[in-house]
Amino acid sequence: MTLLLLLLIPLGAGLLLTVLPEGRPPLIRAGAAAAAIAQLALGVLAWRQPPAAFTLSWLPRLGLSLELGLDGLSLPLVLLTALLTALAVLASPADQGRPRLYFALMLATNLGVVGAFLARNALLFVLAFELVLIPTTLLVAIWGGERRAAAAVRFLLFGAVSGLSLLAGVLAFGWFGQGAAGSGSAVDFSYGALAATPLPASAQLWVLALLVLGFGIKLPVVPLHGWQPISYAEAPPPVVMLLGGVVSKLGAYGLLRFGVELLPDAWLAFSPWIAAAGAVSAVYGALNAIAATDIRRLMAYSSLGHMGLLVLALAAATPLSLQGAVAQVLAHGLIVALLFACVGLIQRKTGTTVIAELSGLMNPIRGLPFTMGLMLLALMAAAGIPGLAGFPAELMVFEGSWTVFPRATLICLVASGFTAVYAVRLFNRVGFGRLDNSRADWQSTRWGERFPALALTLLVVLAGIWPSGLTGWSELSTAAIALRHSDPVVQQLALLPPSASSSLPA
Amino acid sequence: MTTTTPAAGTRTPLIPPSMHRYAEVIHRLEAGGSMLPDTPENLQQIIGIYKAYAVPMDFYWRDLLYIAEQVFLNPLPAFKYFISQEYLDRPNSYAGDQSQLRIWRGTEKAHPELLAFMERGETGRMPKLLHHLWHDRVNMEFAEACMRAMLWHQGMGGRFNDYLESDAYRANADRAIKAYFKGNPLMLGLHALFPEMFLEQVKQLSYTANLGLFWEVMAPVFFEMSDLYDEGKLTSVPQAMDFLVNGIFAVAGRPIYHHVFIRGECFEIIPKSEGFTWLYEAALPYVEAVFYRTSPFRGTKSYNAQAGQVPADQADFHYGILYADVFPVGSAGIPPTLLMQDMLHFLPPYLQEMYKTHKRGEEDQLVQLGITFQRSMYNVTSAVIQALRCALLYPLDDPDPKHRLANRQFFEAQMDRFLRPEARLADIQSQDYR
Amino acid sequence: MATILETAAAAGCFNTLLAAVDAAGLRGALEGPGPFTVLAPVDDAFAALPPGTVQTLVDNPPQLARILKYHVIAGAHNREALCAQSDWASLEGAPIPIRSTDPFEVKNATVVNADVVCDNGVVHVINRVILPG
Repeated sequence: MTLLLLLLIPLGAGLLLTVLPEGRPPLIRAGAAAAAIAQLALGVLAWRQPPAAFTLSWLPRLGLSLELGLDGLSLPLVLLTALLTALAVLASPADQGRPRLYFALMLATNLGVVGAFLARNALLFVLAFELVLIPTTLLVAIWGGERRAAAAVRFLLFGAVSGLSLLAGVLAFGWFGQGAAGSGSAVDFSYGALAATPLPASAQLWVLALLVLGFGIKLPVVPLHGWQPISYAEAPPPVVMLLGGVVSKLGAYGLLRFGVELLPDAWLAFSPWIAAAGAVSAVYGALNAIAATDIRRLMAYSSLGHMGLLVLALAAATPLSLQGAVAQVLAHGLIVALLFACVGLIQRKTGTTVIAELSGLMNPIRGLPFTMGLMLLALMAAAGIPGLAGFPAELMVFEGSWTVFPRATLICLVASGFTAVYAVRLFNRVGFGRLDNSRADWQSTRWGERFPALALTLLVVLAGIWPSGLTGWSELSTAAIALRHSDPVVQQLALLPPSASSSLPA
Repeated sequence: MTTTTPAAGTRTPLIPPSMHRYAEVIHRLEAGGSMLPDTPENLQQIIGIYKAYAVPMDFYWRDLLYIAEQVFLNPLPAFKYFISQEYLDRPNSYAGDQSQLRIWRGTEKAHPELLAFMERGETGRMPKLLHHLWHDRVNMEFAEACMRAMLWHQGMGGRFNDYLESDAYRANADRAIKAYFKGNPLMLGLHALFPEMFLEQVKQLSYTANLGLFWEVMAPVFFEMSDLYDEGKLTSVPQAMDFLVNGIFAVAGRPIYHHVFIRGECFEIIPKSEGFTWLYEAALPYVEAVFYRTSPFRGTKSYNAQAGQVPADQADFHYGILYADVFPVGSAGIPPTLLMQDMLHFLPPYLQEMYKTHKRGEEDQLVQLGITFQRSMYNVTSAVIQALRCALLYPLDDPDPKHRLANRQFFEAQMDRFLRPEARLADIQSQDYR
Repeated sequence: MATILETAAAAGCFNTLLAAVDAAGLRGALEGPGPFTVLAPVDDAFAALPPGTVQTLVDNPPQLARILKYHVIAGAHNREALCAQSDWASLEGAPIPIRSTDPFEVKNATVVNADVVCDNGVVHVINRVILPG
């Protein structure tokens, strides 16, 4: 019941918001925030008292049933989603334009993402995945910046291809698996059923290819990333908090669930290519971030780079690297949300996010010192400075992947070094230097506006000094689905064909 | 904008309009105005800040004279800012009933607001030593920095600096040094070994006296302007500037001297008979050194000649208030933060109201008042420019076109100094510059 | 002929100047053999100065002497001689530029009456007080 409630809260609140009387944006925002916080509280309750799986038969002929469940992988993601939804709502301006539609769309996004994380049925997962596309496109298209039309079109196109690819993959999974095994009854798409009927090797490769395409677009990974920089740059920063912090994690979760867990053989076969794509992503993102002229684009490419590290860890699929992957998902979610919360404040106060137009924002009297302080911390966290959330995640990713893909890991390590380059450059340009008095016409941020960034900062610091907070949820789950052993010696031994001398004399 | 020559504009101008970048300002100056546009808000701002400046200035001039005349060569002057009652009560020559040329109708002793601040400060009633250590006092360091700017830039016209190199001065200083350290074999021995050392200290103290005598005049001028404004008698920026011009002329002949009192005996290191005047030896060098030149904020520019960050020619220095970026971490030479903090304590209520309603209200009062101060100093500089024009050139309504052209060239030469990008002349033309 | 100061006294429009000379203690010097070239400002010239200027100077003889010495050139030079050079050294030390020969202008003052020859020098009557700088 708890699980269903986790879905009903955003659904009910979203519908309720649309019928509230017009003209009271702060109230509507408060309502949306309350719904998200309620969902978060319920999630915490679910953590302390793990609920039983929930099953509701829906369309048995299609194999689609409402099967919900929480395990070590999905629980932290659900909590992250609820938290970031609440903070994204609070980071939206109190005088938000068309608030009913806006906050309803945010809650609809939340519904889709949480539904995807809770799903134990592949078709349900696809349904929830698709559900996310339209609200997010609308959020970009209606409230975005100058080039929002172009951004929304790209976002929609890529998202549609992603969804179609995913649908095809899942359907193929079910039909080639159970269907081919031949039983007259309809295919059951629940995870359990899918796991029980392994696919033939060639089919696995095709299915995984479709799934990787679909999830790779969502993450994104180079070369499927075409939609991301412009969308992150044009969407309003609170929306990007959701997009970067939560929606992109659907891709990671999907790869973990479907790729690593349900299609292990194909995953092992693809993993060198996936690791390479991750390494390329990391370097590509870092280099473009160094060259970026707009803060939001810089952070978009930074996010792309971090997703590259994530993909590397998933490709390596050792217990440590998968722990690192989950840690990276959580840490990056918090960090990118914090970055965009700070950028949102900068944009709201100064009216611009173009780096060339900003300078001296650290000025204590007429700048934005509080915001810049938090942004400095966020940039440090993104660069992987110890003591903040990014470090344990990246450490586990590198340690876990090093034994399997040393060259890709080395490249990712170098790219991680590049994050320090663009972080320092950005902060140097924007934070230090002379504040242009003729432009410095804004008011300072108030505590209400600072709250989301402050909350995220506390969590980033907490995760940095208490890394179990990132990994504790999922240690068992990731260990269960790991495909390779962490220890290279054991790995080598495991891969050697058994020799006559290795078996004990009878 | 109002002008003070009523007939202007009805006849064709005698000379063609200026083609200078600041032509508008030059035409305003030629019409008797100031570099600062004539608006009621500008007037309110500058009068208010003059008053806020004059109260700490009252302390500055008294303490500067105290240091120059009494503290003199004390090797450990830990209490040089602990001014004696005698100097707090020293009658200002231009205020009070005893004054021969009374500029201010108020008291000749220390201003009551100053005394109240010295009593309480920002914290509360405490022993003076605690106030001093907590730095809850008038920032006298600012005055000393002004003095050091004048000392360092030296040759800016007038005879003062040349006299400091002369034998007569050397002899006077030597006598005073020996008298001060009478009975102190260590110091006298040092003086014998390094005669230039104490002489240099005395030169510095002579500049201290110079600055003290300069500000002794400016304080009552500013107080009187504030009183006139409060009574409604000052109604435009050109009027305020004219008051300054008249004040400059009235006191131009005031002698600049340096008398030291050592154990009750007066030693005239720079006697009045040398003929140094307030205008040539104090005011003009002060404006040049403090408004235009000064020196960059410590640490912001390298003095390494190879680095090329400060101008090779001292006359090109452009770190004064007229070029300042008023943020406290900005680039003006004399620490503006010290003076701004001083002025903050004595703002008249109408200025406090104005700052509350603009920009960040009470949070950035310091910056707002700093910019107001910059405007007011442009007005003072305009007064100096007009006074120079009056003294060395022709009246504004001179019928001879050649004379008008000479005036024009003078104004243009003055405006040329503001062509560099750091100058704030263009900024102060707009009311939005806050 | 009369000395410079006697001539000035007789003219009747140099009262302020003569009072200033007395206050500065320069009477003795100007009664001497010289010869001097004196640029003598009329009373109106002193009156044109802002109020208090003259009073402050009169109260401070050394400073007044300095300003007055700026109006004196060593030697007796008539108009032609003066116009031959672009500037002349005053007794005070600062130079006095000859800005124009026709009309005859010395610094920012116009000479209203040139070449008044006296026993110990020449007087040129000017309409403004000239100041060094």
